[in-house]
Amino acid sequence: MTQRTWLSRNKLTLLLLSLPVLVGAWWAFRPEKLFINQKVSEPAPLAAKSDSQPIYTGKLTGSVHQTTGRATIYKADDGKLTLRLTDFSTSNGPDVHVLLAKSDDATLNQEIVKGALDSVELGSLKGNQGDQNYDVPASANLAQYRAVVIYCERFHAVFGVAKLEQF
Amino acid sequence: MIRRSKLTLRFAMIAAAFAAQSPLRAQEAMKHDQMMHEEAAKTLYTGKFHGKVHSTEGRATIYEQSGGKFVLRLTNFKTSNGPDVHVILVAIKNADDDVKSDTERIELGKLKGNEGDQNYQIPAGTDLSKFRTVSIYCERFNANFGVAPLEKF
Repeated sequence: MTQRTWLSRNKLTLLLLSLPVLVGAWWAFRPEKLFINQKVSEPAPLAAKSDSQPIYTGKLTGSVHQTTGRATIYKADDGKLTLRLTDFSTSNGPDVHVLLAKSDDATLNQEIVKGALDSVELGSLKGNQGDQNYDVPASANLAQYRAVVIYCERFHAVFGVAKLEQF
Repeated sequence: MIRRSKLTLRFAMIAAAFAAQSPLRAQEAMKHDQMMHEEAAKTLYTGKFHGKVHSTEGRATIYEQSGGKFVLRLTNFKTSNGPDVHVILVAIKNADDDVKSDTERIELGKLKGNEGDQNYQIPAGTDLSKFRTVSIYCERFNANFGVAPLEKF
């Protein structure tokens, strides 16, 4: 009974005292930020507009043979697509090709592909080491064929795969 | 009277000289800017973000500009908004290791926005072979929003 009267008597003081606590809590947690987005859009530091820009990239990993490096697809101003391998190293072999395949293709998990591999041909591997470029045909559907495969056509062996992700 | 007009004339001449010079200066600055732009930046490291405390997505890439300056760029970036959120480089072996108060870090600045493409200058002399993880870090609550382990591009 007495506490109740004390409470009602000091209502205003309590309210005033709790105000800084509330403000402090708001400042610390900024709960409104949960609903407010802050969007920015700065230009790239590259700037050189004629340059081709990377659009997809991924790291190569070896299956049958140890394969390392990075595969990146660049898009030029005129829309031309180029695959570039950097820091690339794989084992040498007969009739090795560079292909684009579907990244969710389960056959890529096999060391030796049984049957045909659904793929887009980019050409014979130019060298088993070093930086190299391959033209990507304009007809290639990169929305589907999102994996770079180093593939030995003679033995249907998957040397290495790079699953590409948006740059 | 003559002295006065001489003085005004002198002022006018000085003013005219300034007026003539300033557009020249502006042009020079523009030329300089263009030159800076012509030399493309080199991509050194890149990595994808994944969320820790809050879902975080996008890509972090470190570029070397022509002057030897390093820039971190976030693209397709998205995280949750929050108070006192910073972009830091941390020296942790695994990106999923905890960022503790004594973890070595390089401060790159306050997060400019929780969405969108954005650039951050990296201080000169930063050892990029050591600080290989980008973290979106809430300093107020020591909350690691998300990390991007960097790999050689």
